[in-house]
Amino acid sequence: MNNSRKAKRRMTLAIFGLLAVISLFVGRLVDIQVVQADQLNEASADKRSIGVTTYGVRGDIVDTNGVALADSVERYDITASPKNSITSTGTFTRTIDGEQVTSTRDELIEELADATGETAASIKASLDANPESDFAYVAKKTTLAVRTAVRELHIGWVTTQLNPDRTYPLGAVAGNLVGFIGTDGPQAGLELSANSCVASTNGTQTYERGADGVRLPGSTVTTKDAIDGGTLKLTIDSDFQWFVQQAIAEQAETIGAKWATAVVVRVSDGHLMAVADYPSVDPNDVNGVGVESLGSLAFSTPYEPGSTFKAMTAAMLIDAGKINQTTPISAPPYLSVGGGIIKDVFSHGTMQWTTTGVLVNSSNIGISILSEKLSAAKREKYMRAFGLGEKTAVDFNGESPSPLRSSDDWDPITEKAVAFGQGVTATSVQVASIYQTLGNDGVKMPLTLVEGCEMPDGTVTDLPDTEGTQVVSKDAANDTVEMLENVVTQGSLTAQLTIEGYNIAAKTGTAQVAKTNGVGYGTDRVVSVAGLISGDDPQYAVVVTYGNPTTIKTSAAAAPTFKKIMTQIIKTFRVTPSTQSVPDLPATW
Amino acid sequence: MSNLAVSLPARAPRLDQPSPLDKPDAPQRRIEIVSTRSQRMAKPRPFYALVAISGLFVIFMVQLLLSIVVSDGAYQISSLQNQQADLVRSEQSLGEKVDLLASTQSLATKAESLGMVLSGSAPAFLDLADGSVVGESSDTGASATGVLNATGSLVPNSLLELSGDDATVTTEDAAANAAAVAATAAEDANAEAISVAGAPEAEATTGSVASTTTTDVVPTDTAPTATDPVTPGGLPSPVTQ
Repeated sequence: MNNSRKAKRRMTLAIFGLLAVISLFVGRLVDIQVVQADQLNEASADKRSIGVTTYGVRGDIVDTNGVALADSVERYDITASPKNSITSTGTFTRTIDGEQVTSTRDELIEELADATGETAASIKASLDANPESDFAYVAKKTTLAVRTAVRELHIGWVTTQLNPDRTYPLGAVAGNLVGFIGTDGPQAGLELSANSCVASTNGTQTYERGADGVRLPGSTVTTKDAIDGGTLKLTIDSDFQWFVQQAIAEQAETIGAKWATAVVVRVSDGHLMAVADYPSVDPNDVNGVGVESLGSLAFSTPYEPGSTFKAMTAAMLIDAGKINQTTPISAPPYLSVGGGIIKDVFSHGTMQWTTTGVLVNSSNIGISILSEKLSAAKREKYMRAFGLGEKTAVDFNGESPSPLRSSDDWDPITEKAVAFGQGVTATSVQVASIYQTLGNDGVKMPLTLVEGCEMPDGTVTDLPDTEGTQVVSKDAANDTVEMLENVVTQGSLTAQLTIEGYNIAAKTGTAQVAKTNGVGYGTDRVVSVAGLISGDDPQYAVVVTYGNPTTIKTSAAAAPTFKKIMTQIIKTFRVTPSTQSVPDLPATW
Repeated sequence: MSNLAVSLPARAPRLDQPSPLDKPDAPQRRIEIVSTRSQRMAKPRPFYALVAISGLFVIFMVQLLLSIVVSDGAYQISSLQNQQADLVRSEQSLGEKVDLLASTQSLATKAESLGMVLSGSAPAFLDLADGSVVGESSDTGASATGVLNATGSLVPNSLLELSGDDATVTTEDAAANAAAVAATAAEDANAEAISVAGAPEAEATTGSVASTTTTDVVPTDTAPTATDPVTPGGLPSPVTQ
């Protein structure tokens, strides 16, 4: 027989055998990789790789100096696997301090209850609710101390998860502005309106885990990056805001006021230094105040301001060239208008007052006579230019524009009454904006609460508008401020309002409050003082308002707080004394 | 060229002629197949095979050792990361406590309990550029008030209360002193208001208007709409038509 033929046959057989084995393997490979791929992937995925949520951190809300008004803290959810808590023997062995300890399920539940502060019954209930599941809550949002205690129990079927929470370290300071978070997300204030700035997005990560829980090296895959929220910076000074809140709260309780607001604006750029309300919410304890106090009354609730509007009326008349600081008028004891009567708060004969005298004596009759020199339509136009009838540039959550009726709809009494702030409404911030305009040479700056939003990558968004509008001329504004300084030096509240070495410009107001159930005004009052500090170069405008006080119903109730706030402004913002003295303007002729 | 030892086919001895090699008395010759030099050089040595196989073996061993070390490193990393995570958590928790203690309410209460007071008048300023004093502090200490007065801290911080810090005014003396100061201040204000003849406050009596006109004088505004999750209630003042 030929050797080579034998050899060839052997070789052919070998090759065929090899091919057969290979094709077996290839077939199996195709089967696994192609045919059964999805099923197998699914089945194996949760057996070895773990998906976790990586939490983004919600951005802080900080004041102008970087002090945190709202920040995120780490809290932990304690979770358990009910499935794994049920074993055939009913006991578990743990290693504590190097010793093996055997305990029953109930004992472990007791220990858990001690550590978390929940009752053993409630823990048992949540575990028994769905015995097949791998996940049940034992306690939510616990602190680090609780988490450490739970971990030290070394219970195999209990794990802890990070769950960030929001706190407000300064409590009610600026609580009316910052707002708060509810179970479904932000509910009020800047937390709600600036949510796009501070909100974070969670990411996901998967990794493969060995039997003892250690991550296998190289197996972490970040499927989605967590994105932190940006930091929202406010114009508020938190220490000063606290002072103002404390001051109005003290006085409001003393005089029995139902509500109070105080607004402090920096005149040069319209930045709000403090916006205080009483009562005010502590975002850590939202249920501590009534529902009506959860927002900011200074922004949301208009009222008839009263005589503080006289300054605006005087400014618009001077700007229109109709009057000046010493324009003489004769003020009768009462003014009869279209079926009604306008009176002053004190009865007098016919008085010969100048414009300054009208303001010093806060005469309704006087300002009504002066206001006749300008048509109602033009005065309405000025009022709108001062910002009445529309929201301020802050556009706070729930802010009211305090709509202004068209002058065509004004009846004869209203035509006069708007000159002294009755028959028209405004919010506290609108009144503050008027005084900011008067102090800033007649240039109205957009009222600003938010300085900007700094995103984690460093870009700054939400920068405030810096364009002002000239509402009245520089001379008109400065003349008005001089008259207001004379109100302080010549008026009846000189002692309460004067600060040694400083020029204070102020106007008091005691407005009547309309009856809730009928026509006309009742006996309630809204008392306020509005003014500026450092008269020759006004730097800050302050408006303090108390609503429905019971013990003192004149603006003498608001004057001490006004002075207290002014003093604090001097200290906090380092306002140096005025260099020029107040020009003495004649009040009578 | 073939490496096989080649044996040339022996020539078939010729019968009619004596072969030139066929000598009558020549001794028998042995023929050996010997490889050529190049064939010898080309022979595979066992030594090199051993080196190659053991080298392969060494490579596999090293790989195994490396992966053991890497895994061990993974455990170390995991343990250190745990430590780091624990420390970060503690830092967070302590930072929370610090923020709370630094809160304005806490500072004010502690200042009050230390007996610190607020100056009631404007301060003087020291100009650091030239050392001059600007303004005059008229503070004689008489106008000093307590930081919180008798009312205590009216700006609540429930986090402080939860943590056990006393958020209310502590000492009796401070409270009493503050109460006295507040009382005199209030009295002064009242006295001022009453003694001045006809305090000039705005008061338009539109009561007479009310009786004659049918429309309300007051333009209205209700609290913000229901689209806001929080609707701050309206004040009892100007009311809807």
